Amino acid sequence: MTLRPSTAERLDRAIDHLLTGAPPAVAAATAGLPAPQRALVEAAASVRSALVASVVAPRFEARLGARLSGAATSPWILRHPGRLIVSGAVGSAVGVGVTTYAVWRTTRRASAAHRLLHR
Amino acid sequence: MTIEPIRQDGTTADADLGDVRAAQRDRAAFGALYRRYIDRVYGYCFYLLGDHHDAEDATERTFLAALGAIERYRDEGASFRAWLFRIAHNQVANTLRGRARRHATPLDDVPEPMVDDDPAGLVGLAEETRRLRRALATLPEDRRQVVILRFVDGLSAREIGVVLGRSEGAVRVLQHRALRQLAQALRS
Repeated sequence: MTLRPSTAERLDRAIDHLLTGAPPAVAAATAGLPAPQRALVEAAASVRSALVASVVAPRFEARLGARLSGAATSPWILRHPGRLIVSGAVGSAVGVGVTTYAVWRTTRRASAAHRLLHR
Repeated sequence: MTIEPIRQDGTTADADLGDVRAAQRDRAAFGALYRRYIDRVYGYCFYLLGDHHDAEDATERTFLAALGAIERYRDEGASFRAWLFRIAHNQVANTLRGRARRHATPLDDVPEPMVDDDPAGLVGLAEETRRLRRALATLPEDRRQVVILRFVDGLSAREIGVVLGRSEGAVRVLQHRALRQLAQALRS
């Protein structure tokens, strides 16, 4: 004994046909949908054309791609993503400190040289 | 993460399997999967969250989680994309739980599709598109998820079952009800 597929199953088959590019009428007929249900395939076709695939922003895609590449080579980032933020913050603080010190040293040397020249 | 086997015929038809195996050996190979699915995962998050910023956050968390767990993925009947969208589904659910006080962009504000047909047809299509999106926004959450996974991401009823933790039959029933509701909205 073979069980007749339910309406929901036949509708699903019709949608499979629709997603491969079949026109709604052909998709409904191929799946053996009764006439009252064919309006649902028309609705499915409208939904398909209304819901276009969103295109991701290129900058976001590039940034996430770079982050994934970094994570692929440093698996600890994946286990502890918070550490990435902390290490970034520490790195920035160290960078600011080094730059400030370098500027201070240069200014100090310049002023010492200036004093020697004009003594 | 455990996913129940859904494939009954024992085939290994998952087209992504080669890339998944490569990424399991060397995570640097994950890039191929990332490039293949970035638009679809983002689209799924965007249509459910209605906000570009939240969608980007959820997409980022999805791919970081997928990369972190790729070694644990096993081809036990659930396709890679069903596994990936299940992670995305969890991230979207987390965002929805955490944003109770935030205002989301209505689905009507999603950019219109590009159509290069005649201008008269364009006006009719734009109106129908707006009506459909409004109708979609009124669907219960589970029906909306089914419609988006099926029509935007092209997942099968079986795969959607894996993503939502429902049976294949239950997904078909949800799809049937969602389309009936949308067809009524289009007629009214």
